[in-house]
Amino acid sequence: MTNSSDFPPFLASDHLSRRTHDILKERLEEDSSGTPRTLSSTAFSVLDRIVTVLLPQEEILGQQTLNLALRVDRALSGPRDGWRFAELPSDSQAWEQALLTLNDLSTSQFERPFSLLEDSAVAAFLDAMGEGKVGLDTPNRLNPSQMQKWALDLRADVIECFLADPRVQDRLGMSANLNGGDERFQGFETVQANERKDFEPATKISSAA
Amino acid sequence: MKTYAETDTLDVIIVGSGAGGAPLAARLAQAGKSVLVLEAGPKFTPAQYTSDEIEAREIYWLNERLSGGRNPQPFGGNNSGTGVGGSMLHYGAFLPRPDARDFQLHTETGRSVDWPFRYEELLPYIEEVESFIGVSGPAQYPWDPSRQYAYSPPPANPAALKMRDACDALGLRHADGPTALITRPFNQPYFGERQGCVSCGACHQGCRNGAKSGTDNTWLPLAVTYGAEIRPGCFVHTIETDQAGRVTGVVYKQNGQDIRQRCEKLVLSAGAVETARLLLHNGLANSSGQVGENYMTHISTQIWGEIDQEVRPNRGYPSLTITEDMMRPKDADFAGGYLIQSLGMMPITWASNIARGSTRRGADLVRTLAGYNRSIGMGIHGDCMPSPENRVVLSDEKDHFGIPKPLITHSYGPNELAMHAHASRLLTRMWDAIGAKDLRILDRAAHMMGTARMGKDSGSAVVTPYGQSFDIDNLWISDHSTFPSATAANPALTIMALALRTADAMLTH
Repeated sequence: MTNSSDFPPFLASDHLSRRTHDILKERLEEDSSGTPRTLSSTAFSVLDRIVTVLLPQEEILGQQTLNLALRVDRALSGPRDGWRFAELPSDSQAWEQALLTLNDLSTSQFERPFSLLEDSAVAAFLDAMGEGKVGLDTPNRLNPSQMQKWALDLRADVIECFLADPRVQDRLGMSANLNGGDERFQGFETVQANERKDFEPATKISSAA
Repeated sequence: MKTYAETDTLDVIIVGSGAGGAPLAARLAQAGKSVLVLEAGPKFTPAQYTSDEIEAREIYWLNERLSGGRNPQPFGGNNSGTGVGGSMLHYGAFLPRPDARDFQLHTETGRSVDWPFRYEELLPYIEEVESFIGVSGPAQYPWDPSRQYAYSPPPANPAALKMRDACDALGLRHADGPTALITRPFNQPYFGERQGCVSCGACHQGCRNGAKSGTDNTWLPLAVTYGAEIRPGCFVHTIETDQAGRVTGVVYKQNGQDIRQRCEKLVLSAGAVETARLLLHNGLANSSGQVGENYMTHISTQIWGEIDQEVRPNRGYPSLTITEDMMRPKDADFAGGYLIQSLGMMPITWASNIARGSTRRGADLVRTLAGYNRSIGMGIHGDCMPSPENRVVLSDEKDHFGIPKPLITHSYGPNELAMHAHASRLLTRMWDAIGAKDLRILDRAAHMMGTARMGKDSGSAVVTPYGQSFDIDNLWISDHSTFPSATAANPALTIMALALRTADAMLTH
């Protein structure tokens, strides 16, 4: 849930265009609860488990983490990015089948659903997927080569959904959206290193400083 | 803007309003021809472009493409555009000239192919394009002291400055690269006031103040002034022919309706994927069997690293510094060469490249993302040879217009792999030399060329050296699909120069 303390100050800047402001504000207020629109509940539970290991948010956002799995699910129902791997079925099918593939493998190898795996087991799946060593040659599941390609889509979509959130941008000190307002299109008067202007958010976490 | 009725027969219909279609539209309209440009995308209001990289996808071609081969290429973002202005709405405005040697690579090395004419024949058109659209560059260009640029370069950001240092350390020459943007206000003829670049860094999300030299603020207003109509929201799917096989017109979809428009001549300027798809779908102009063949990209290997300074890589013109010293490196184990440019980048584009180009996860991935504000990059554009392995074909899957989606197969051959390896070593040495840490090489390809190549022989080429179909004399192609080889230069300048040359040929034909 969003509360006023989550409201990144840069959203009030006149270096931000009205349109970009509205886009970011709407994203900020996206429901953090709710049910998935694209994925089945089983597939969604696998995605929910995976994102916590792929991209642990706490170092950047503290306890106010995003429901990244839900955002990815919503994005899968929206306009896509204009291409897909020829080896994979349509995006929504590929995600469903990939996630169910992981669940099947978890069940057969660990005798429990993927959502109950330890972090280390999830991490091992992620690494093995990247090496093309995870998959199933059965109908409606993805084989190892397909899983390897899907793993790239997984990584890209999760990271994009994360960085698109204005709270994350604020915590990481990103000023990319503060490149000019409507009254005056300011751009950046300085592009030199170590010259942050007051309107640009400072980095707020130690590893970004 | 003048408009034409659906019952009119146009002298020329052009499919696409980007680098291939727009200069040609202007030239033909100036010569008194009735010209209609059909653009699949909408007409945007530049002031409303957004830096938000998710919503900014509105200016990309999002009609799904299937990407295969050993090096499947990402399309969509920063690859193909849509809207009045085409891919030049989102292009990075890096505007090097092609290297004369790249037009004769077969003669030089026995590999690749020669272009059917020499660079010198294109040079007057290149100079005309640069002069008309507005290009910034250094007072002295080290690799060609004879050339001049009308505008001084934009400010150098930290990546550009660090690349200069790295070049100095390794004994490479460097300069501010030619960039298709203006750095002081200019009253563009037929368009109006364009502002100078304000270093906002969001070239790929659309230029909000007209500083970037696109077709929407240069060629298209010129075309409209001379009576051309630019019609947005029109997706051409059918090319109609008469019994003799000549083109009589096109059918396009607009607001769900099929509309027929007749023409004397048709020009395809839809890009290397869509031009090929349109021809293949209509079964036209392919007696050579070369439509869709020889798909090419640029080898676009990148390196990223962190330095102990807050550089904010979103700020400033992203890719200012250039070196052309690798166009024919002495230690090359490949034919051809590559350009190197410095790289800043918007955060989601940057992170998406990391997502696809590394296997980092967990705390390691978080730390990498947190390092954005300390990140500097460099990238190359390397020549790519035509290969029978690489092509655009129609897939078995239909898009929402009922047209087969294109399937693009793209694999590096030995030459491309050798160039990538050479560049990876050199880029690493360069970033090592300036003390950048946590270096990451990204193996990627960019741009698209080929699929309807020009040549002198109708058995091995789709169009003549002027872009005219060998099979259908009133069908012309004006875009990067006619490139016989990729050359190392970003394609926009060559496409525009070829477009003017093709227009002149159409007028004298």
